[in-house]
Amino acid sequence: MTASIAFTACNSGNNKSAENNSADNNQTPTTTLSSNPTGEATPIKGIVNGYLNLKNALANDNSQAAANAANEFLEAMNKIDKSSLTEGQKKVYADVADDAKEMAEHISKSADKIDHQREHFDMLSNDIYDMVKAFGTGQTLYRDFCPMYNDNKGATWLSEVKLIRNPYLGKEMPTCGEVKEEIKQ
Amino acid sequence: MSMSRTKKILLAILIVLIVIQFIQPTRNTSGQVLQTDIVNMYNVPQSIQAVFENACYDCHSNNTRYPWYANVQPMGWLLARHVKEGKDELNFSEFGSYSSRRQANKLRAIENSVKDGTMPLSSYLLLHKDARLTETYKAEIISWVRRTRDSLTQNK
Repeated sequence: MTASIAFTACNSGNNKSAENNSADNNQTPTTTLSSNPTGEATPIKGIVNGYLNLKNALANDNSQAAANAANEFLEAMNKIDKSSLTEGQKKVYADVADDAKEMAEHISKSADKIDHQREHFDMLSNDIYDMVKAFGTGQTLYRDFCPMYNDNKGATWLSEVKLIRNPYLGKEMPTCGEVKEEIKQ
Repeated sequence: MSMSRTKKILLAILIVLIVIQFIQPTRNTSGQVLQTDIVNMYNVPQSIQAVFENACYDCHSNNTRYPWYANVQPMGWLLARHVKEGKDELNFSEFGSYSSRRQANKLRAIENSVKDGTMPLSSYLLLHKDARLTETYKAEIISWVRRTRDSLTQNK
């Protein structure tokens, strides 16, 4: 049941992809997100930005940019001021941090292996989701789901725009997926 | 009588080779099974455990079976570096010290590297022909890893 719905979702997305292209270009962030944008600051702002840059790089099939964004992400992870966190946030951070850093290290070291980067991005996306839920983001984010990735086991990712741009399948199937959840800031 | 330049260089190389033989890296052989060992965490069937020990444990556990050339430098140093990197990535002996999130991700990584044939490393297989995974073993490992991962995510 789920699979058939998902399949339809992807198919329709794919059929429309050609006519959507011009619209895509208008809404798609092609520039790097500022590391210190205006708006409510949260301790993980830089981390989320690094993640989103990574996501956009993968959606563009740009392995080198993904590696760079992973480094940016790692820097932000290492800079986080743990003393400013609440007890609950510390707990989530302790659970997530090692895993997230390991994933980012793999991505940064695999500049020529985009499949490998995407595999780790999948796991990293779960880490980031848990962090965002515990820390807030300062911006509205969308949790998207691609049912086809990983032998149809599916994978999620977070995006700053409502428009689907698939970081797992890249330009091959850019619009495959659907918004599962809107995370208000 | 003075030596030719070539002879001097060869002699210097020989001396260096002899000297470095005395610099032996620490061996990775604890000989113990820790509480955190994967066999104490999950139900690992004998057949799979045997494959892990034979094909993975040299670099992914606290107990390496050293070949004779590990006594010869710089080969021993190279091996030591490989083992360190392997253990940093995944250590079956300390699997239980990972958070459940990491354990699940490690299991997934095992599945993928076995499926894609990226592990065991081809350089390792060159010297350990018996560590090559047959299709049967591959399938067995993949199915075990999946079952274990499912149980892990359900307990969460």
